[in-house]
Amino acid sequence: MTADSLRDYLRILEARGELHRIDESVSWNLEASAVTLLLNEANGDVPLFEDVDTARLVGDPYRGSQRRPWDRIALALGLPGDLSYNEYYESVIDRLKDPIEPRTVSPDDAPCKQQVQTGDDVDLLQYPWPYIHAGDGGRYSNLHTLIAPDPDSEWVDWSYHRSMIHDSETSSVLLLAGEQTPNLYYYKYERRDEPMPVALAVGVEPAVQYTSVMWIPTGRNEAEYAGGLKREPIDLVPCETNDLMVPASAELVIEGEILPNERRDEGPFGDYFGYMHGPRRSMPLFRVTGITSREDPIIPFCVEGTGVGETENTTSSMEVGCVGPDATLGLRTAGFDVECCAPWKSTPRTVYVISTEKTDPSYLHDMANFIFTTWGMLHVDFFVFVDGDVNPLDQRAVLEALALHADPDADFHQFGVETMPKVPLNIYQTPTEKGDIQTGTSKAKTAKAYIDATSSDATDQEARRRDSAASDVDRRYRARQILERAGVEIDDLQFAEDEGKR
Amino acid sequence: MTGMRDHLDRLRETDDVVDVTERVHWDGEAEAVAAEATRHDCPVVRFAETPGLAQLASGVYGGPDQFSTGNKEPWSRIDLALGEPSDRSYVDMLDQLVRWGPAPIDEQMVAEPEATVRDGIDLYDLGLPMTRDGVPLVSLGVLAVEVDDTTTWVPIAGRGRRSTELKLSVPRAFAEWCPREADASVLLGVPVAMLLAALQGWTQGQPTPDVPALAAGLSDDPLSTVDGRTIPADAEVRIDGELTVADHRDGDSRDVDGERNRPATADDPTSAATGRGAAWETGCETATVTVETTAIAARESPTIPFSPSGEALADDIHLACLAEAAKLFRRVNNYWGVSPVRWIQIPVEGRLGLCIVSSEILYAGFEWQLANTLFSFSDLFDKVLIVDEQVEPTDLARALDDMWVKAHPANDWVFSESNAPSAAAPAYRDDDSGSRLYINATWDPRWDEEYIAPRVTMETAFSENVLASLADRWDEFGLDDAIRPDRFDDDE
Repeated sequence: MTADSLRDYLRILEARGELHRIDESVSWNLEASAVTLLLNEANGDVPLFEDVDTARLVGDPYRGSQRRPWDRIALALGLPGDLSYNEYYESVIDRLKDPIEPRTVSPDDAPCKQQVQTGDDVDLLQYPWPYIHAGDGGRYSNLHTLIAPDPDSEWVDWSYHRSMIHDSETSSVLLLAGEQTPNLYYYKYERRDEPMPVALAVGVEPAVQYTSVMWIPTGRNEAEYAGGLKREPIDLVPCETNDLMVPASAELVIEGEILPNERRDEGPFGDYFGYMHGPRRSMPLFRVTGITSREDPIIPFCVEGTGVGETENTTSSMEVGCVGPDATLGLRTAGFDVECCAPWKSTPRTVYVISTEKTDPSYLHDMANFIFTTWGMLHVDFFVFVDGDVNPLDQRAVLEALALHADPDADFHQFGVETMPKVPLNIYQTPTEKGDIQTGTSKAKTAKAYIDATSSDATDQEARRRDSAASDVDRRYRARQILERAGVEIDDLQFAEDEGKR
Repeated sequence: MTGMRDHLDRLRETDDVVDVTERVHWDGEAEAVAAEATRHDCPVVRFAETPGLAQLASGVYGGPDQFSTGNKEPWSRIDLALGEPSDRSYVDMLDQLVRWGPAPIDEQMVAEPEATVRDGIDLYDLGLPMTRDGVPLVSLGVLAVEVDDTTTWVPIAGRGRRSTELKLSVPRAFAEWCPREADASVLLGVPVAMLLAALQGWTQGQPTPDVPALAAGLSDDPLSTVDGRTIPADAEVRIDGELTVADHRDGDSRDVDGERNRPATADDPTSAATGRGAAWETGCETATVTVETTAIAARESPTIPFSPSGEALADDIHLACLAEAAKLFRRVNNYWGVSPVRWIQIPVEGRLGLCIVSSEILYAGFEWQLANTLFSFSDLFDKVLIVDEQVEPTDLARALDDMWVKAHPANDWVFSESNAPSAAAPAYRDDDSGSRLYINATWDPRWDEEYIAPRVTMETAFSENVLASLADRWDEFGLDDAIRPDRFDDDE
């Protein structure tokens, strides 16, 4: 069954014994994030903090295991729990290819309207926004959906940009030019000296949260894709203080506008790379005009910086479970022969691995060229191409391909040395190179690269063909049966998800 | 000291053995099961019912890849076989391997080998495991030969078999050192120190024939003699016979392999180019010898360990990676009069094609010296990743994370000119030369401290007060229930 709301999803988690309620009073000031980090590292239950001042917090609710990062995402979508990575990806892709229109509900039927504050009643600080890492620039909302309209069309973008709380009615929003909503702000609203109406929907239903991190093409109705994922229409309801439509199931909706030519400090922040970094930068100012919420709302947050190496968090799991299938679909739609496009599991966002049957160098160059010119690629520095029968989520197999098939002479391709744009979140540039310029990109340009780790060697390809022959499959199947009869717990080992395709 | 039999017992005590009690044939079927087990990080597999005299075991020196498990390291079984606690650090293990040197063997000599001659059996009766291509899987053994009062042990890999003859691949340096004909013993089921010493003696550049002395520097496993040859006393199986070097320095060269990465041929399915040869053959010129059997000796209920050929995480790759890492660690530290290198790893996941080194960067440009020193000392790989000292050798995922996020994609991925010698492990070049690559994922020593981004960890993200409070409130929060140790078992 697909979860209708965040709290519905948490009930499903609890029924599986994977939700840990903490009834004792917990501080938003590092304590909630410390518990969450601990459980992330231990692959423990998802913590629900029941008593954090006036609301509740839930830490990294969609975090999966390093072995199967997509499991809890699949759970919220009502997908079977034993899908291989390949089956999971194709299931999500099938749903994205069949969007469902949203429907509008009245405010009376919208849970997010149970409490309404506008005008002088607005008080951002009445909610327990977590202070996540010592050294962060402030308290953050970092697991939400930012809803912003294109001023020149009916298109409304749903995205995922963190926001640092400043006072009772303002925050700064990390908008990095090159992505959809930042481009709307910097190159349309701000140039016209107009405020951009926005809504931050916090604690949205899972399908909406997942859609927010996907690379949905410009101009498409994101609510339809969320409906496709959910297999039901998403209920939308009008905002109180602007014309935007927001998910009715949200725990909390912060309405307002991002003002032109107004900046506030943002960062430093412990970011998805796994490092604390700065410098503190200036980012656009979000002024709040209204807040609506459920009774006793639940605010989700992510302890960024923990989804690297062997640890997962919500961001890293959504990267594998949401962005990967969407990127695979996007490349196929663009006409590329792609088996799977998935992030390097232990390094979210910076590097992606693409498995493909077509390994002609010019074909790979063309695909890399296409990818790096699309929006949202500012975060990605590397693409690694592997053979079609390599599971991009099997890091051992990809590392082997890199070590044995990527020739330093011929298979590492940089697009220049100082030619390409870069977000200032990286840690390899100096503060001077990152700069502090108006549109949130680094001052200095950088390079991006793709690596051809496919096996171009004819002998190796022949060996692969031999290995994948039907007789070999039978032989391996019999071998597995022998192991299973000997007491090996097949489900506990990396059988199905690594080799579903074979 | 830990003989192979004791090692298996210790593995069983740690629940790292699964017994296959149904009948599995040595002719290809056992290898298929072993390959599947290896591919998926299964425990050691012991085959209790194979048709031959010997039982078989796979994975005894293998292990999981670092990405798939958090509580077992790829080298844990080798460490256990070295007789050390399984919880000692990688660096401590490396130190042990680095420190070894020739040692007297007199005190290790015992009267008789435990294996006794079995009358009337041949190689078929023994039940040596075979690949589906009919190649004997004898990569986890040594060949013992005595020449001029010096016994050597040399790594071997099966090439072919008849009922009384084994055809084996050996390092070419050994074939040149050995007379054309000699008495010899093929020893299977030997202590791991002997396998490592044989690799060190014959596959790492300057040959060191006195391998028993090298092994004695590492372990005090009991030794014995047979026809003047020093052998491990507790070897499970010994095949005595007459050795003939098929290609000898004094003869013709028709049967010499004599080159690395030779192309696969229909009658040589073990060629390293197919990835189905033994790992030690990757960086080593080889030659072929035959052993005409004169006697087969075995212990009571002998067990022959074997490594499924060509599998990614097979035992022989683990051994070769560790031996090479130890060699480099020994050579690099003190090379500049100081020891800035914290650890070196040839990750088994990269199949000898990648070297990772953790080091202090002494000065700007030191990373270039370090990478190229490693290239000079090993011809296995053409890619080196340099990481900071803070990176743990047990966290491969984090080391690679630094490769992706900490190294500048243009400035820190450094390619040499294309006239460097080609590396042995990769199989992508027909030419003898090409570029090398090192990736510098360390902080630039010229950067101001304020440029350095600290890692997000429990210790850096939270003050001592927060951590102390968390410890105080642990029970109050019910965190033992939330962590649920069984989750680790399910997940790993």
